Amino acid sequence: MIEFENVSFSYEKDRPVLRDVSFRIETGEAVGLIGANGAGKSTVMKLLLGLLSGEGRIAVDGVEVRKENLREIRRKLGFVLQNSDNQMFMPTVCEDMMFGPLNYMVSREQAEKKVDEVLAQLGLTELKYRHNHRISGGEKRMAAIATILAMEPEAVLMDEPSSALDPCNRRLVINVIRSLPQTKLITSHDLDMIWDTCSRVILLSGGRVAADGPAREILRDRELLEKHRMELPLRFQS
Amino acid sequence: MNKMEKALHELGEMDDLAARSSPIHDMSATAKLLTTIAYIVTVVSFDKYDLSGLIPLVLWPVLLFQLGGIPVRTCFYKLRIVLPLVMAVGLFNPIFDRAPLLFLGSVAVSGGVVSMLTLMLKGVLCLMASFLLMATTPIDCLCASLRTLRVPKTLVTLLLLTYRYVGVMTEELAIMTDAYHLRAPGQKGIHVSAWGSFLGQLLLRSMDRAQELYASMLLRGYHEHFHYAPVKPFTAKDAAYLAVCLGVFALLRFVPVAALLGGALVR
Amino acid sequence: MHMADALLAPAVAATMYVASGTVAGISIHQLKKDDEPQKLPTMAVTAALVFAGQMINYTIPGTGSSGHMCGGMLLSALLGPQAGFLSMIVILAIQCLFFADGGLMALGANIWNMAFYGCFVGYYLIWRPIVRSHWFGEGKAALRGRIIAASIIGCIVTLQFGAFSVVLETSLSGITELPFGAFVALMQPIHLAIGLVEGLITAAVLTFVFESRPELLRDVEAEAGALPAKRSLKAVIAILAVLALVVGGGLSLLASSNPDGLEWALFGNAEEGYAENMGLDEDDFGLSSKAADTAGSIQESTSFLPDYAFADNDTPVGTTVSGIVGSAMVAGVALLICLAGGFFRKKKHS
Repeated sequence: MIEFENVSFSYEKDRPVLRDVSFRIETGEAVGLIGANGAGKSTVMKLLLGLLSGEGRIAVDGVEVRKENLREIRRKLGFVLQNSDNQMFMPTVCEDMMFGPLNYMVSREQAEKKVDEVLAQLGLTELKYRHNHRISGGEKRMAAIATILAMEPEAVLMDEPSSALDPCNRRLVINVIRSLPQTKLITSHDLDMIWDTCSRVILLSGGRVAADGPAREILRDRELLEKHRMELPLRFQS
Repeated sequence: MNKMEKALHELGEMDDLAARSSPIHDMSATAKLLTTIAYIVTVVSFDKYDLSGLIPLVLWPVLLFQLGGIPVRTCFYKLRIVLPLVMAVGLFNPIFDRAPLLFLGSVAVSGGVVSMLTLMLKGVLCLMASFLLMATTPIDCLCASLRTLRVPKTLVTLLLLTYRYVGVMTEELAIMTDAYHLRAPGQKGIHVSAWGSFLGQLLLRSMDRAQELYASMLLRGYHEHFHYAPVKPFTAKDAAYLAVCLGVFALLRFVPVAALLGGALVR
Repeated sequence: MHMADALLAPAVAATMYVASGTVAGISIHQLKKDDEPQKLPTMAVTAALVFAGQMINYTIPGTGSSGHMCGGMLLSALLGPQAGFLSMIVILAIQCLFFADGGLMALGANIWNMAFYGCFVGYYLIWRPIVRSHWFGEGKAALRGRIIAASIIGCIVTLQFGAFSVVLETSLSGITELPFGAFVALMQPIHLAIGLVEGLITAAVLTFVFESRPELLRDVEAEAGALPAKRSLKAVIAILAVLALVVGGGLSLLASSNPDGLEWALFGNAEEGYAENMGLDEDDFGLSSKAADTAGSIQESTSFLPDYAFADNDTPVGTTVSGIVGSAMVAGVALLICLAGGFFRKKKHS
């Protein structure tokens, strides 16, 4: 479903952010993208979404990420931003959720039906007409995920979905992620959350893929993680 | 609570009021907007000595407060900005405009007193009118109505987006202000050494935020068009409300109702 | 400097709406030619920032009082005049709608007084010519100097224009009895001081941006190639001179025709201690109008029984009594409405 082939990227010459990154994600896989600050995780996301363009080949469902394909690519991918306030710019939750579908020429009735459906699925029905600036941080994160699901993406990308949430809301978000049938690519420093949601992990370090394999192997490999400035998930630290 | 937190509180309060439901809340925003403007124009157009002509207009906001179930207290809190200004303009009138305008029995009332009261009443009534509009109309409905009134799309979208981020920015500045004062006890404002960096830091971060916001719009298929909440249709009921209000305002403007009423009674 | 509805005549307010609306229309049109969709989020976030930023109190060294930032110059330096103007409109609308700062009817006038001058005059006549000029020589330090100079001069000049417009609008509305000259003489100097403070604050913010991310500022990157300014500095100086003439003319006019007016203006000024409330423009404005009325009233009361005293009242006493009785009846009706409202609400709850 998602292919990176020898992808390199740099903002300035001679200071590459990504070097020769290659991986494949199959349909339905849940992949955690981990790495220390500055390892290039966000860059991978941005390249995939066509917000940046680098060298090498990136493709989604066989469609190459290029300017003329962006609309098609972005239709397939839903990106949940780390800061939900930046994601939700419309006045109410309902309107925010309808923003994406309406842009893809879905009728208003269909869009609203989809909104109701997604809200019911996530158990957020009472949020529908609430104002985005009046809901709590946890509600905001859930609503942000809902805005993406309303677009019926084939793959969901998430940037730090569990950051700044209380334990209860974090658990809620984890359960939602686990319940999603879509292909998932999640970046996070919360390795316990990655453990709970992903079956495979790609470890980036210094702009290269340092490891790529099953989550239960990589996330228990203390030596590997520490070499790349990470730590074991808390549950394995005792 | 610092200034920004108070502003946030005020914004939240207006949102809550507008989210209630009442016969006034259910009216189309366009009808409410137009009556409000007509009301303000009517109030302002009264002569500076025509206090008795102006007084019957008090009934309209009183009626709306009751029908809309809006607490008057919230509105009076907002008077703190407008009233000092209007008072300052009017306060010296009684001292210097001493020419007797009317007599209550044997007591002469100067023109200054009357014009001061008229100006203050005008200020209060205008404020109440806009307050009632916003307390009974959510911002998205108001924006939708602005669109039907042919206000350019760019401006309406900008208003909506800005309103969304006013809360976010104000909250960030409230936190920064608290953080500043925790490390600078006893300072009333921002010290000159931090004049540039205090807002500047937030400004730089905001530019990144704007980029991310734009990305988020693009990723959801944005291309020049913004889709708005469906507009509440302008029904016959709204038209009737508008017509009645305009009629009553015109009547009150051109017929001295209070004086006639009183005259009938006195005679 | 926010005008209230009660201080404007409908005709004046409508004229200002038309003027501001026209400029807004032109701005939107010009903006569409640029890359508007991409600009909207930046405009919204910056406008929200300026809205919040205007609530910050900046301590003015050595005075114990505080000042505020000037939105118009900051916005046009960051976004350009058209986008800045539209952002200011939105800020003023939110202030008026949600915080009762200004008024719905006075919005057109407020947009003109603050947004138009701050953005268009501030950008085309001051920011761009100065930043693109060769003041202070070449290099980064010189450029920083030009940014500071442009901010300060811009804030002072645009505020002078704004204050002058307030006087003009109030006078045309027939709200103040103060002679035009005296009003001008009162408003301009106060706003000279406010403009200086706002200019210094704005300069501080803009130099910070210049040090960290100069590409965010308009005309600054172009400076590397030293683009010639479209309008010469001479024009700017000429405009400043015209403004000085207007102020000076107003002063001398006043001094010769109505010394009392000036005295009152100054007296009122000193008494109010406006510096304490420098940030709250309303106070300055209100105070000035207070003094304005004062001076105007002196003139009125010295003339024997002003002829308007019984205006619109053919039989003053008779109409007055019935007016008062009628008003009392209105108050009664209002009370009844309140009682009825309370009654029905209680019923609904029970």
